[in-house]
Amino acid sequence: MQGLEAIIYHNGFNMAAVGITIVFTALVSLSLIISQLHKLLIIWDNRKTYAAKLRGAFTEQKQAKQPLAAADFRDVRESARQFKVLIQAIGEPFSLPELIRIAESFGIRHPCSKVSLLITRDLIISDHKGFFLWNQEAYNRIAERSRR
Amino acid sequence: MELFLEFFSNTGFAMADYRNVIMLAIGILFIYLGIAKHYEPLLLVPIGFGILLGNIPVFKGLGLGIYEPNSVLHYLYFGVTSGIYPPLVFMGIGAMTDFSTLLARPVLMLLGAAAQTGIFLTFLGALALGFAPNEAASIGIIGGADGPTAIFLTAKLAKELIGPIAVAAYSYMALVPVIQPPIMRLLTTRKERLIRMEEPREVSKREKIIFPIAAVLLCCFIAPAALPLLGLLFLGNLLKEAVVTERLAQAARTSVIDTATILLGMTVGASTQADVFLTGKSIGIFILGALSFGVATAAGLIFAKILNLFVKPKINPLLGAAGVSAVPDSARVVQMVGQEEDPTNFLLMHAMAPNVSGVIGSAVGAGILWSFIVG
Repeated sequence: MQGLEAIIYHNGFNMAAVGITIVFTALVSLSLIISQLHKLLIIWDNRKTYAAKLRGAFTEQKQAKQPLAAADFRDVRESARQFKVLIQAIGEPFSLPELIRIAESFGIRHPCSKVSLLITRDLIISDHKGFFLWNQEAYNRIAERSRR
Repeated sequence: MELFLEFFSNTGFAMADYRNVIMLAIGILFIYLGIAKHYEPLLLVPIGFGILLGNIPVFKGLGLGIYEPNSVLHYLYFGVTSGIYPPLVFMGIGAMTDFSTLLARPVLMLLGAAAQTGIFLTFLGALALGFAPNEAASIGIIGGADGPTAIFLTAKLAKELIGPIAVAAYSYMALVPVIQPPIMRLLTTRKERLIRMEEPREVSKREKIIFPIAAVLLCCFIAPAALPLLGLLFLGNLLKEAVVTERLAQAARTSVIDTATILLGMTVGASTQADVFLTGKSIGIFILGALSFGVATAAGLIFAKILNLFVKPKINPLLGAAGVSAVPDSARVVQMVGQEEDPTNFLLMHAMAPNVSGVIGSAVGAGILWSFIVG
């Protein structure tokens, strides 16, 4: 058997095509790895700098996403309603540790972060004597906004 | 008188025929080409002398001939048939090779890949001429222009053809300065031959250390059958680049490779006996071998021209001819042809990149052919 008949009989064309493809695949892959190797080594050498930059970028992103959205507003309103009742119960002026202790005893989740939020929104204000007061005006504004 | 006649009948003179004489003449020719003409002397001298040893007629049964068990030559030949010597030669080559031009411009690796199409096209040509697939694969690997690879694959697939294939492979490797230039001038324009390559970037020591590890893992995962050759090639290179193992690298590129080369050449030559070498098949092997070098050169050149459509700055297409992995002869030929047009154009350093990538590509090609035929 000779000629094209022999090649076809022994599957020659397929073997040649697949063989060339595999050789090219191996060397193309190797050349791609080599071409990026020196860049990867530069990143590895400066990994601490890059990690710090990444962390910084991530923190900025997180801060940039700080809630001014409706979901956050609902949280403030709900927290204000809960703590208004508690403050009425313990009376004014009150200390923050006592407020938090009572909130925990009543099963309010994450009392510290909620108190912090209320202070940020000026719903709980300092009396400049080491105690705190409830700011009814701020609460009324929030209540009016929610009605709109 | 009878004793004398009996003694004479056991001498080589009585047992020789015209085929032995032809082979002895071929052996002497190889030695002459190696010593007087400096054509690949490190290979042609041991091969030539091996041809002499293998074609001196000896009395069968005395454990003298290379194919007789318990003969010294037969034990030494075991390193060829079992595929031990070629990987040791490759280890020495790895310990001598500087891959930094390849690392500086990895795209040149593709030229080495393109030149390996010569292997597979020659494989098809051998099938068309009526050779069996295992023989065709052994003949095809001549196109890789890599002696150890050709011997390694032939030892695995078609032991009986080791002699003619090794002789063809090494002969054509020695004739690269004759075969390649006309093809290079035919397939490139003067303007292309004048292209200057830009200076390669500085390659760090760490890249040179990581490269053999990454390369052996990647290539052997893709073509596991290439493990013996590529594994030792990259081991040798790692020993060289690691610096702390300089003693081992020194041994690999001197005593180990020299010992393996002597034994490989001599036993391959000794295995080239008249009844195997002086056949129609050998003529077919020699014709296909010459074609394979030509096709591989042309494939590398044409691929370089195609690559120039996409890469900037342009590559001198002569570098495609260096993808034929006759290291470093084909790189020197590229330098020579380039300098015919512009004596100040130094292409040798750049040509080493496709040259050494051709070594990797031919080993991968051998592994692929082995797995196709055996698998």
